[in-house]
Amino acid sequence: MSHPVIFDRNLLAKNRSRVAGSFQNFDFLLENALGRLTDRLLDLSRSFELVLNLGARNGMLEKIWPKELKTPKFIHADISEKMIGETVNNAARVVCDEEFLPFAPNSLDAVISCLSCHWANDLPGALKQITGTLKPDSLFLVSILGGQTLFELRDVLSAAELELKGGVSPRVSPFATLQDFAHLMQRGGLALPVADTDTVVVSYNNIFELMRDLRGMGETNILIERSRMPATKAFFLRANQIYQERFVDRKGKLKATFEIFTGTAWTPHPSQQKPLRPGSAKLSLKEALNN
Amino acid sequence: MPDTNEKSFSKSSDKTLNRDKNEVDPKLLDILVCPLSKTPLIYDKKSNELISKSAGLAFPIRNGVPILLIDEARRLDEFK
Repeated sequence: MSHPVIFDRNLLAKNRSRVAGSFQNFDFLLENALGRLTDRLLDLSRSFELVLNLGARNGMLEKIWPKELKTPKFIHADISEKMIGETVNNAARVVCDEEFLPFAPNSLDAVISCLSCHWANDLPGALKQITGTLKPDSLFLVSILGGQTLFELRDVLSAAELELKGGVSPRVSPFATLQDFAHLMQRGGLALPVADTDTVVVSYNNIFELMRDLRGMGETNILIERSRMPATKAFFLRANQIYQERFVDRKGKLKATFEIFTGTAWTPHPSQQKPLRPGSAKLSLKEALNN
Repeated sequence: MPDTNEKSFSKSSDKTLNRDKNEVDPKLLDILVCPLSKTPLIYDKKSNELISKSAGLAFPIRNGVPILLIDEARRLDEFK
């Protein structure tokens, strides 16, 4: 494999498993992003037979599926065995890694992935695998955290670390831009990609509340190059001070930005609109103009 | 798998879904392939595993959930 390995996928599974039992207290961001995904579904007015919920966590997608839409057969897949254990009873469930998908080609009518693909080491590779599992003219509906996500936290942790330790280690994951995101879907062999972005700003009393939420969501740092030195209380106290100085709202609360990219794309099908191949015209331009 | 378990589950109030708790969803089983080689998996009822002959791996099933992680698979020496 030629892509760089920057995320520790085993640690992602561990992070999610550790918080599986209390995840329902920390699922506000997932719920928010899922709402955006189901809004897209309502706009599409299509029904699906077999839907893969990839990175399913506690299978919330099935619980919040809009009543206006026909209920499909769901397959819930997550990298964490404990997390998938929290889904509804008798659901079809599988533990797998987005980077090693275990589904037969041409088998699914839609893949829906909510806030999970930003942890993929090889996102183009994962998208290619997803494309392969979909039938023609089937939907890939995805959201990831991207862009400005947690820029405040990244800034204050770097500033505190530079001040106290004289150096900086990566503590907040790098995120894709919206342009990257749209290009990636096309590189994955998908057609008609549409991507847009929504910003959610959450307010916190202090940095410890924010860290507790990130831990509760299973979204803490899994960078391989992360610092292995446990950060001290003094470090976070200083980071909290810097946060208070730099990023507070009018009420004096800390602001934490989450940028959610939501995208739809389709596996190619002859019925979809597309440009003609160059040189395929039956009429010369001159003739066309004369007509 | 003791028979007694199976009976207690078939009494479940949900009539449409009276599968054994440890049985893999049949529709899911239909479309699963080896995560590494993408070839079909063989369901070994006795060992309750999904076998990938081409990768030489046996994937466990726990509580009816196939665990298709390469790190969790048992290596099959006879296929080496």
